[in-house]
This record gives sequence, structure tokens and C-alpha cells, in this order.
Amino acid sequence: MIDLERAYGLMTLARRLDERMWGLARAGKAHFAVPCAGHEAIGAGYALALGAGHDFVAPHYRDLSAMLALGVSPREVMASFFARPRDPSSRGRQPYAHWGSKRLRILTLGGPQPNHVTHGVGIAWGSRLLGEDSVTWIAFGDGGAQKGEVHEAMNFAAVHRLPCVFCVENNLYAQSVPARLQHAVTSLSQRAAGYGMPGVAVDGMDVEQVHAAAKDAIDRARAGGGPTLIEASCYRFRANTSNDDDSRYRPADEAARWRARDPVRLLAGRLGARRARIQDESAEAVAADAAAWAEAQPWDDPASALEHTYAG
Amino acid sequence: MARGEPNDGGAERQLTLVEAVREALAEEMERDPTVVVLGEDVGLLGGVFRATEGLSARFGAGRVVDTPMAELGIVGIAVGLAMRGLRPVAEIQFADFLHAAADQLIGEAARIRWRSAGDWTCPLVVRAAYGAGFRGGPYHSQSVEAFYCHVPGLKVVAPSFPADAKGLLTAAIRDPDPVLFLEHKLTYRAVKGPVPAGEHVAQIGRAHVVRSGDALTIVSYGRMLHESLAAAEQLADLGIEAEVLDLRTLLPLDRPAIIESVRRTGRLCVVHEDTLTMGLGAEIVALAAERLAGELRAPPIRVAMPDIAGIPVQDPLEDALIPGRHRIVDAARTLLRGSRPARSAAAYDAAAAEASSVVEVAMPEEHLERALSAVERACREFPVCNAEFTWDGIKAHDAVRIDLDLGPRAPCRGDGTFTVTDFGPGSSALGLPAVRPGQTAALRIGAVRDGAAWLALTVDHRAVDGAVAGRFLRRVKELIEGD
Ligand SMILES: Cc1ncc(C[n+]2csc(CCOP(=O)(O)OP(=O)(O)O)c2C)c(N)n1
Ligand SMILES: [Mg+2]
Repeated sequence: MIDLERAYGLMTLARRLDERMWGLARAGKAHFAVPCAGHEAIGAGYALALGAGHDFVAPHYRDLSAMLALGVSPREVMASFFARPRDPSSRGRQPYAHWGSKRLRILTLGGPQPNHVTHGVGIAWGSRLLGEDSVTWIAFGDGGAQKGEVHEAMNFAAVHRLPCVFCVENNLYAQSVPARLQHAVTSLSQRAAGYGMPGVAVDGMDVEQVHAAAKDAIDRARAGGGPTLIEASCYRFRANTSNDDDSRYRPADEAARWRARDPVRLLAGRLGARRARIQDESAEAVAADAAAWAEAQPWDDPASALEHTYAG
Repeated sequence: MARGEPNDGGAERQLTLVEAVREALAEEMERDPTVVVLGEDVGLLGGVFRATEGLSARFGAGRVVDTPMAELGIVGIAVGLAMRGLRPVAEIQFADFLHAAADQLIGEAARIRWRSAGDWTCPLVVRAAYGAGFRGGPYHSQSVEAFYCHVPGLKVVAPSFPADAKGLLTAAIRDPDPVLFLEHKLTYRAVKGPVPAGEHVAQIGRAHVVRSGDALTIVSYGRMLHESLAAAEQLADLGIEAEVLDLRTLLPLDRPAIIESVRRTGRLCVVHEDTLTMGLGAEIVALAAERLAGELRAPPIRVAMPDIAGIPVQDPLEDALIPGRHRIVDAARTLLRGSRPARSAAAYDAAAAEASSVVEVAMPEEHLERALSAVERACREFPVCNAEFTWDGIKAHDAVRIDLDLGPRAPCRGDGTFTVTDFGPGSSALGLPAVRPGQTAALRIGAVRDGAAWLALTVDHRAVDGAVAGRFLRRVKELIEGD
């Protein structure tokens, strides 16, 4: 069973950090915000089903709640947002939300989406070769799911029954391109059958549903039962990034309808208003501290950009 | 003059290049259980070039994995293995198919260390067979090195000799960064040489002087390195000692070794099978221009594949396109023009009793490749000129083999069916060649003056009459001058 209190703490913290980053980016204080609002239940749901630091995660860029669950601190999140040296994923080399931490077993995420899907399969295969029972969680968007290499990755993982889980976070859009122009199947989970793996569709706004499906798939993978494809439906409440204008391609009432099923509020309802409020207040304070701390961090020495192209 | 391969100790046997690759893979798999081999047909088949033959039987299907036909997936999954701490060696059957995986190699493998500020690493090896010359056509013949040499974070290795194939592949597998390991498919079996038994690790990033000389520096790698060595042999017959530098690693480039050699010789010729524009030659010539401008005694020359969109499968077309020893000799002679006293070839050019005719032909100083293919074609069209006179009749040879005579110190190899003499700049403008035993005709190309040269044809009059000789000569002229 999922610890709802814990899940809520992660989700509300992700939401507060997200709102703050959006405002800061819009105010020109940072280069780039990648909103997670609407995806918080997916990240919290799967991350709490994994063994943090033991299992591997090849995350989707909207998985801020999962990063927090796995041990990335709010200050580190903000250091990455402000592109400062204390950014644990890239030391400010990559824009925000390109996660990564070897210590926390979070794969480094690059720009071209979703190139990390094949990496996740290699990691899962490597874990088996090394005789370790860790599972690899591989998350990506519905847009990413249309790329050819996702097919290559899922096919290989299924052939070798590798210990991994594929999770499509389906928010109905790849930036402006709607689902109907991306795929003809009604649910992306149907594709699992084509690879010979189980396919599951869950409500990605409901952290308990996500967690239950994740736990099931992770247990199966760990037990040698091979990969699963999970499709978690959700909605991106803001634009694609701070550089996007979603009013050009999404009807305003669509977001309003989905807001009625806001994953954070949904869980607050189950938790009770008082317990939720205590967590909200503390999350707000943590987010404010993290932003102030990160913005005050010094920049790197420009010469440091020359490091790390090769070893040594 | 030619130096042997480095001997890093251990007993040496003669192995072909593909055997050396196989030995490196087997020894590294034996030494390190994290080394895994993946790719199309690498298991039971042993790879289409047999580089992985026997590995599956020895190390099991768990470490030698036949993958689906999906190059992007192969490299992407190998990147994941490498990030996980394994030492994957992915085989891409033909370098031409590497383009399908370019995003993973360029955008991911090469950048993982940098983008994570050293947190994650990607010690991956991608092996691929490259190169033309076996009628593979436009999709099984490409040289792809220039694309990948433009990728900081990647290393690109291209051995020319079996010992280096073993030593550098071993080093690549142990390297902490991703390495693209390019194996020229025509060297797999044609190149054989001593290879140290047991552990043999060469250093990535180091070029190697395989022949020393003082007249010019020829920089090359892979199969073209062997053409360069053959050209150097012919040049030596002319008294020109060429230094031949085997790059071995293309990225990072061994700049000090190139500069050191070119500074000494003052003349640079870069030879690659890859196309000319933006090829490795451009970078190497730029290096010489930046660092040695005042010390160069002639403008550098690049000998490369012309900028064509594909390698044709049709035999004479492919043969004509691949740079060869004659183009390299031409380039060397151009580099050395005016640098040595004219050598008189009169003593050698004894007029024979046979019938001769001459014609003037427009041609540039670099003409060997073109002239030889013109003569070859004319020989096919006039079999009587590619024949032998016997008292039982005229016997046409069944193949055309041109024996090239480059000067008094360059004796013909003696196994030809037709002889072409070309003493190059500094020789006399007109001289008559002698017909050799077993042949019915010989052609001499005089020194080029003002864009033209005299061709002289001598024939064995018992086999070839004057009219035929005249038509043959006109045909050669037509083929050389035509486009
Ligand atoms: C290979 C590649 N093409 C295009 C982009 C630009 N891009 C960034 S996010 C995005 C939308 C992706 O949609 P989806 O995978 O559904 O994820 P979502 O943003 O909806 O969560 C696009 C097109 C990219 N990063 N990589
Ligand atoms: Mg989407």
C-alpha cells in the first residue's frame, strides 16, 4: 500500500516548486521552465513503488515528483533550474528537467526525446548480466512513444524478458500535436500486445492507481516475468515549456475540465483538508528557500566548460 | 627502409586483420566478464565478416547476442549497458548503416560524460566494417569517418595492420570513453602481419611512422595506407624517399606526429578513400597550413575519392574512383616538381628496331591514373596490341596487365602484358620505348610541357602493322583527352 501522506508531500512540493519556477521564468529570472503540473501523481506513484537507490529510473522530463521521491533535494532542483554548479544532473550544462544522478540511479536525460528509452533497456539488461535484481523504470511522453527507437527498445526488452517497465505518460499532446494526429489506436497500452508483453491503462491523475499498477509491473519484472507497458493518462496543465503558447492549440475549457480532476486536489480530498494544508504550507516554505538559495549560488568558472569531454 | 610493426613483446605469429580483431575480442572477453558483444548475426554466424566467429560457442549466447535488425536500438541499448558499468562491443555490419544510429552515437554516447559533468560515463565500442573495393555499391562501401571525427567526446580508430587491430581494439574496450572502431573490409583478409600473442595494448591517439623518408610525408590510414606504402616503394625506385605516417587513431588526431614529420619533409600528401570535401585531409592540411606555413616547400595535396554521391558497383567505375598508388605517385611527383635535377633517361630509351609512331596529347602533370585506364581500354579494344608474337601465331593475352615503368631505377615487375613508360617531370619530352619479350607493344609518355606530352608507341612489326598502331595511338589520345 502506498503511503498517502508521503505521496501528498511529494506532489504538493513538486507543484509548489513548479509554480515558482513558472513565475521566475516568465519574469525573466531563469531561462527555461518545464512544468510538471498534471503529472505529479504519475511520478510519485511509480517512484514510491521502486526501491530508491537500488532500482534505476530513466525518467520523463515532467517527473519532478519522482525525482524528489528518489532523493533529489528541492535546492538541487532549483540549482538545476537556475543552471548553477550545484545542479546535480549536469552542473548547469543542460536546461532544467534534464535529470540525472548516478548515485540515485537516475539516468542522465538528453534533449532528443525519448533517447533514454533504449538506454533504460540496456541498463535493465546490464543489471541481469551483473546478477543484480534491480528493475529499470522507463518513462516517456505520448509524443515520444511515436519514435521508432521506442519500438526497437520494447521489442528487444520483450524478446529477452528484461526487468524493466515502460510507462507512457499520455497527456494527449506532443507540444501542439493532438493524439488524433499521433496514433490511430485508442489506447497506447494496446501496443503491448504487439510486443508480447502485458499492457495496462491507468488513470494517471490517481496516485493510488498508478502506484498499484507500477508495483504489479515492478514485482513481475523483478521476478523474471519481463517488461510491462503502462499507459498513464493525464493532462499537462500549463504550456509545453515556458517558451510555448498553448492557447494557440488547446481550447481553454479543455484544461478547465481536467482541472476538476487535478491529481494534487484529488489526493488532498482523500487525505483531508487539514493534513493537506499542513503539508502545503511546509512545501511552500521549502520551495521559497530552495529558489532563494539557488539564485544566490555563484556561477562556474567559464574554463570549466572544457572539462569532461573526455576522461582525464 | 620500411620499418616493421611495433613489437611490444610476446611471441609473434602472422595473423590476418580479421583474425587479430577476433583475438582481441576473445582475450578481452576472457579477461573481463563485463565485456559483451551484440549485433546482427554475431552469434552462430560469427558475423558477416567472421570477426566474432567462435565467440558464441566459447562465451555463450548470454554474452554474444544476436540482435534484431535495428541499428539505432543496438547502439542505444549498448549505451545503456555501458552506463550500467558493462563493456559492450556493438557490431554494425556495414558502416553505411551506422547513420541509422547516429543520434545515439553523436547525441548520446559522445555527450553523456560532458552533459552529466563527469557523473555518468559511456565506455562503449562500436565496431563497423567500412570501405569500398568489393563491388558493394553505394550502401556497403562507404567511408564514414569524417562524419564521426566531427564529434568531440567520441574517439575514432582505424587500424591498418593486424597488430594494431588487436592492440587498439583491446585499448578501445578498456577505454573510459566511447570508441568507434572502423575496420576496412578489404584489409580483413588481404592484410596479414605479425601479431603479439597474449596481452597487447596499443595507445589510442598515437600515429606511427611505418616508413621513414625525407622527401615528403604521406599521411593515411586503413587500406589507403597500404596503397601509400606501395606508392612509396615505386617512388623509392625513382630515388624519392617518402615518409609514410599511419594515423591509426583519427580522433583525437595525433597532431604532434603530423607536424613533426611534415616539418622535416616540407611536403604533405594526405590520402583517404573517403570523399574529398570536408574530409580528414582538409583538417590535416589546415593543421599544416596553420603550424608550418613558412616551412612548406610545396602546397599540400589531398588524394581522395571524388565528391560523388555513391560508390558504383560496376567494376571499372569503382576501380577508377578508389584512389590508388598511381595517383599517390602523381601527387608525390607534383610535390617534388623542380626540386631535383632533371634525370636524363636517354640511355634507357634505346630506339628499337620496331615500328614506332608518336602523337601529342593534352594532359596535366597528374595523369597516371587517367593514362593507364586509357591504355587499358585501348588494349581491350585492340587485342593484337596486348598479345605475344610466336612463330605459331599471335597469341592475345586473356587479361590486360599494364606494367608501369617509372624510371631507370624502377624496373618493370615483369608480369605485364603491355608496358607503359613514364619518367615524369624532368625526363625527356620524346623517347621511344622498347617492346618487351612476351608483348607486342609499348607506350612511352614524355614529360609534360605546357599541358601537353608526346606519346610514343613502339610495336612488334611482326604482329602489329603501322595502320593498327596509328589507330591504337589515336584511340589512347582520344581516351585521355575525352571527358
Ligand atoms: C527528438 C526530439 N524532437 C523534438 C523535440 C522537441 N520537443 C520537446 S518536448 C516535445 C513534445 C513531446 O511530447 P510528449 O512526448 O508527449 O511529452 P509531453 O511534453 O507531452 O509530456 C517536443 C516535440 C525533442 N525534444 N526531441
Ligand atoms: Mg504528451
